[in-house]
Amino acid sequence: MKRTLGALALFLAACGGPVGKDQDRVLHLRLEGDPQTLNALISTSDPENVVIALLQRNLLDYDEKLNLVPGLAESVEPDESRLVYTVTLRDGVRWEDGTPVTSDDVKATLDAIVDPRTPALYRRSFFADLEKVEVVDARRARATFRKAYAARRDAFNLPLLPARLYRGTDVATNPANRKPLATGPFRLAAWEGGTIRLVRNTQYFGAPPAFEQVVLRVVPESSSAFQGLVTGALDESRLNAVQRVEAAKDTSLREVRYDEIAYSYFAWNNRLPQFADARVRRALTMLIDREAIAKSLYGGLARPANGPLPPGLWPWDPTLAPLPHDPAEAAALLDEAGWKKGKDGVRTRAGVSLSFTLSFGTANDRQRQVIELTQRSFREAGIVMALAPLEWGAFVEKVDAGDYEACSLSLNLDPNPDLRPNWHSSQVPPTGMNHSFYRNPRADALMDEIATTFDRERARVLYAELQRIIAEDQPFSFLHTVSVAWGVRNRVENVKSSPVGLWLFWPGAAGWQPARAAKPI
Amino acid sequence: MARFLARRFLGSVGTLLGVLVAVFLLVSAAPGDPARLALVGHGPIGARSPEALAAFRTMHGLDRPLPVRLVSWLGAAARFDLGRSFRDGRPVTRRIAETLPATLVVNAVALLLAGLVAVPLGVRAAKRPGGAADRIAGLLLDALFSLPSFALGLLLLLLFSVKLRWTPVFSDLSLGFRGIALPALTLALVALAPIARVTRRAVGEALASPAALTGRARGEAPREETLRALRRAMPAFAGLGAALVPQLVAGSVLVERVFGLPGTGQLLADSVFSRDLPTVLGLTLVSGLAVVVATLVADAASALADPRIADGEEA
Repeated sequence: MKRTLGALALFLAACGGPVGKDQDRVLHLRLEGDPQTLNALISTSDPENVVIALLQRNLLDYDEKLNLVPGLAESVEPDESRLVYTVTLRDGVRWEDGTPVTSDDVKATLDAIVDPRTPALYRRSFFADLEKVEVVDARRARATFRKAYAARRDAFNLPLLPARLYRGTDVATNPANRKPLATGPFRLAAWEGGTIRLVRNTQYFGAPPAFEQVVLRVVPESSSAFQGLVTGALDESRLNAVQRVEAAKDTSLREVRYDEIAYSYFAWNNRLPQFADARVRRALTMLIDREAIAKSLYGGLARPANGPLPPGLWPWDPTLAPLPHDPAEAAALLDEAGWKKGKDGVRTRAGVSLSFTLSFGTANDRQRQVIELTQRSFREAGIVMALAPLEWGAFVEKVDAGDYEACSLSLNLDPNPDLRPNWHSSQVPPTGMNHSFYRNPRADALMDEIATTFDRERARVLYAELQRIIAEDQPFSFLHTVSVAWGVRNRVENVKSSPVGLWLFWPGAAGWQPARAAKPI
Repeated sequence: MARFLARRFLGSVGTLLGVLVAVFLLVSAAPGDPARLALVGHGPIGARSPEALAAFRTMHGLDRPLPVRLVSWLGAAARFDLGRSFRDGRPVTRRIAETLPATLVVNAVALLLAGLVAVPLGVRAAKRPGGAADRIAGLLLDALFSLPSFALGLLLLLLFSVKLRWTPVFSDLSLGFRGIALPALTLALVALAPIARVTRRAVGEALASPAALTGRARGEAPREETLRALRRAMPAFAGLGAALVPQLVAGSVLVERVFGLPGTGQLLADSVFSRDLPTVLGLTLVSGLAVVVATLVADAASALADPRIADGEEA
């Protein structure tokens, strides 16, 4: 046994030098899951979007502050009616095979998005009222919409599909989904065995990226990825709380953070008698010690959410204070709403007890701990919260249908979000995503007005009122907005972050440079 | 003998069919809409489109009744057509073919490594049962066996890849043995105990048999005696091989995750979570066939070593 192990060690040692010794020109990134497609219209996961962001420029890109900047298009401008948008492509934009990107590609892409057979569910929500797309000339296309909409230009944060490969095909199964033609700084060189290799796209219209190659490796397991980061097999990896402590001791690493445009929440089904009164919902939030949870469970990388918008989004109102943790005031509110404690210590009103079931999808440890801490606080206040962990698929079906009493979830928002799908009274299931059945006529009116207010300062005022109303109504208990921490190796410089993360803005990882290279991109 | 094997084969095919039907029903009955998971992913509740969901269901035949789907899948599978993945629309056979080599190589190397260590240990223990070597090895191997392969894999990773830097952190078939040494070693360490135990018992029995006594009386050299005992233990090894296949398949799921090895284990886990029924069924068929073949080989080996087994079946 000893001899065998010894021989094994010798053999391994003889097989090569130290692992992790790397070429300076190759960037090593981690994918948290296996991409299924590299077609941005039908992609559904972060790993897919990370690769796509390196391969494709969008018509309009977000910069790190989430402003729309020219990408493949030098401009996307509306006419006076704000119904017709003219997309003007940059001069000299080419696919990786050298053929020009034309307005016909713009038309084919938008036509594919609105084709009901294309499973472009996310993208289609931006183009639901597209009437027609016309080719004006080789560089200009005109898109006509049925309604004016303030966030319309954000829909053009969109890469293109080559018309000659996609027109008339089944987009979902098109072979080009796994062999895309790039318009961005890199092109796909190889995709096999859980590793995707990108090389510089010589046809790219912009300055070439500093790294010659990007190797993206599928590493689903976080602890393995962290070891990869430490040894240099990876140049970046998302850090959990334990890994952050370890990473801080490693001089070859640094931490990069961003505030996610997302928040966690408990949704209360507003149709139920327990949750029909806003005073009860406010009381529930005030029973949860969100500050303490942010410190203990998030390692300080979280703060109480103040309402339906997270910081990092332009209309977020910093002056709106989150509800305080105040069990005494919460008890007073519950008494005032008629929910009195009975002999068994449980609050009841008109024969209905203040008890309900909180459903959640197979949760991570932290979410589970937040839920259990809340359950304890509620119990002390005379509220019985039973827990129903569900398999994720089963859980989302219940949420989609609004078929729950209470549920625990997070919501990711778009850079220029439309709050109507989540909060407008016309969007309750089965139509939309207002699964807590929130209804407030003033909030409805504000959301409708925001949708057609093109002046951002005016919209900001409307948004502020809307945030106040929803915070007052607390249809959800808004829990936390979170900062995400990444470990990055010091050999890589110019790593910027934005509220959409490290990747999904321009230039994202395409702007990263080897530490020794002084050449800016 | 041939009739015996034919009967065994038919029995195995029946079992495999039963397993496939059970997996089909289990995955179909599990909560979670495959169309929704494929089109919207696992992310938070997102936009929905009834037309796209309906188109997906029609394309994959999900709008047909369960029994019809089952029969049509079995019919197609008999023609080696395993259907298309719900996730990326590609043929399941292609997805399996892409991931199978890595898993096969790692498992083959693991079995080889485990055999090289466990068989000599087992023989030694059989010769001096209850001796110090027997007891120490038994304790050690049982400890390894009881460690979850996930934890064992992480420990090996920390030692060989992070501390000593002998092996890459992420497995890579293209690097040769070094690229897959750790997953193979992890699976091998877990397989040591059962192999050593079977060797110890089978060789022990063979050494205690009248034939071995006669051999010793004739003055047979210990080496020949051991070889003869090992030959007599062949059926037991074949049986062990058949029993180890499912264990290795299960171990691969975890080990491939730790070492980022893109094999069938990871494919299976992903497919189960996304309710990708065609891929799950395809993988069940492949691993089921592997068990059937291993069992048949074991039966044939037993029958060859001891013709009474086949005769007994036929009597």
